[in-house]
Amino acid sequence: MASRESGRVKDAEKRRVLDDAARKRRARKAIEALELDNFHEDPHADLVMSKKVPKFADSNEKPTRKKKAKSAEYYKMRFRKTFAQLVEEDASFRPEPPNYLSAQVPPSKFPDRHFCAVCGFPSNYTCIPCGARYCCVRCLGTHLDTRCLKWTA
Amino acid sequence: MSETSCYILDNGAYTAKVGFSTSEPKVVPNCIMKAKSERRRPFIGSQIEECRDASGLFYILPFQKGFLINWDTQKTVWDFIFSKECCPVNFSETPLIITEPLFNFSSIQEAMTEIFFEEYECQSLLRINATDLAEYNYRKTNNNECTVVVDSGYSYTYIVPYVKGKKYKDGIRRIDVGGKVLTNHLKEIISYRQLNVMEESYVINQVKEDSCFVSQDFMKDMEIARKKDSSNTIVKDYVLPDYTTIRRGYLRDVVRPDEDLEQQTLRMNNERFSIPELLFRPSDVGIPQMGIPEAIMHSINSCPEENRESLLENIVLYGGNTMFPGFRDRVYMEVRALALDHYDVNVSRGDNPVTYAWEGGKMMFRDPDFYSFCVTREEYEEEGKALAYERFDI
Ligand SMILES: [Zn+2]
Ligand SMILES: [Zn+2]
Repeated sequence: MASRESGRVKDAEKRRVLDDAARKRRARKAIEALELDNFHEDPHADLVMSKKVPKFADSNEKPTRKKKAKSAEYYKMRFRKTFAQLVEEDASFRPEPPNYLSAQVPPSKFPDRHFCAVCGFPSNYTCIPCGARYCCVRCLGTHLDTRCLKWTA
Repeated sequence: MSETSCYILDNGAYTAKVGFSTSEPKVVPNCIMKAKSERRRPFIGSQIEECRDASGLFYILPFQKGFLINWDTQKTVWDFIFSKECCPVNFSETPLIITEPLFNFSSIQEAMTEIFFEEYECQSLLRINATDLAEYNYRKTNNNECTVVVDSGYSYTYIVPYVKGKKYKDGIRRIDVGGKVLTNHLKEIISYRQLNVMEESYVINQVKEDSCFVSQDFMKDMEIARKKDSSNTIVKDYVLPDYTTIRRGYLRDVVRPDEDLEQQTLRMNNERFSIPELLFRPSDVGIPQMGIPEAIMHSINSCPEENRESLLENIVLYGGNTMFPGFRDRVYMEVRALALDHYDVNVSRGDNPVTYAWEGGKMMFRDPDFYSFCVTREEYEEEGKALAYERFDI
């Protein structure tokens, strides 16, 4: 019974096709994910951590420093700009190339290659509903069962 | 005024390379890490070596997209690096060479100048691009006129042409693929195909370092990896660390099911070479950019024609990604194929690709003009940050 049920769901899904905008959004999200530092939450987030920064022994034997060192927190407040703000600032400060933005390489002149979204081997076929690539019936089945339209883009 | 040694800090987005010019550099993770297994404390820099179980490590990095953004994190890591626990220094007696990213944003440059003169009380400061140090290292060793420096690091891969020791800025090219993208892509495909490792950046980075190689014939290796019998010379198993008997995983031959050693493994097949392949074909994951050899040619072709011959003869690679077996050979092969026949092409890899720029700093300190590259504390106090901005060619 269960298999017939899921078969019907699959048929209903098959009639849906992702539009171009949704496919682009999905592709962009995949590239953005490659930039992330962590895919999980801070494991100590639930701890009430003392705000104090760890203290390291000063490098000098004698305390030669005249003034008190400023805290890490101070510098966080003092130099507080996001990457996006800095790029924007640079565009007005250094508008003429060469600059950070102009240095990015253009697209390759070689044609794109296509790989199966499931097994990674070269692929010859495109999934009609979502545009993902697959190499064989078995991989298409895995793709339909696991990803395809099941991902909300 | 001249000191007998200098402190060199190649402040990378993933690791800092640090030490006195009279000694060997230490490689320190430039981040704070939190472990699931150890809830009492975060691990700062190389303290991670004290962590018994490195599964599910959470990273807090000072750099974002290759730029120093999180100053509280950086200050904490620097305080660690400059302390007795790591590599103690007194900047009022020792000049400092510190590296910064290419095209570093002006407000980050200002912050760098301020923090080293005011917080760390530097006497002499040289802020410089790591590629400048690498070029210096190469030029002093080879006595050549022009150099193409390829720095393939954590956040990006940069291609920087130098003519007579000076950056030719119009020729600088950046590919938005570095070690982080490779590790994240490997995590993604292993998690989909085999085992959820999305939280295991630290371990999967080691899997990448221990298993991957750069293919010399990508389609042929794909055919080999397709084979189900012993003619598949690529397929291996990676034994994962369990943090009781195995602290770092390793690659081994596939064993028959009845020989199962009851170790948790990852099957590494086309993953072994399709991951580093992204440095050569970013479009394989939908990043619409040239790969390294094509970008090298794009960079050289934007330089004055009379320098191109010397540039092609002096291409030097460094950075963590260049350590993949086959990396240099593949770059050479593709650049050779793209360059005009009557030019010679020479591609070499820095002896120790991770500390190659740091070693360049060590050589630069011995330059008779070293102090003219620096800004002193007196100059900073008299003339302010503008002088540092003019003198340092970041
Ligand atoms: Zn497939
Ligand atoms: Zn699909």
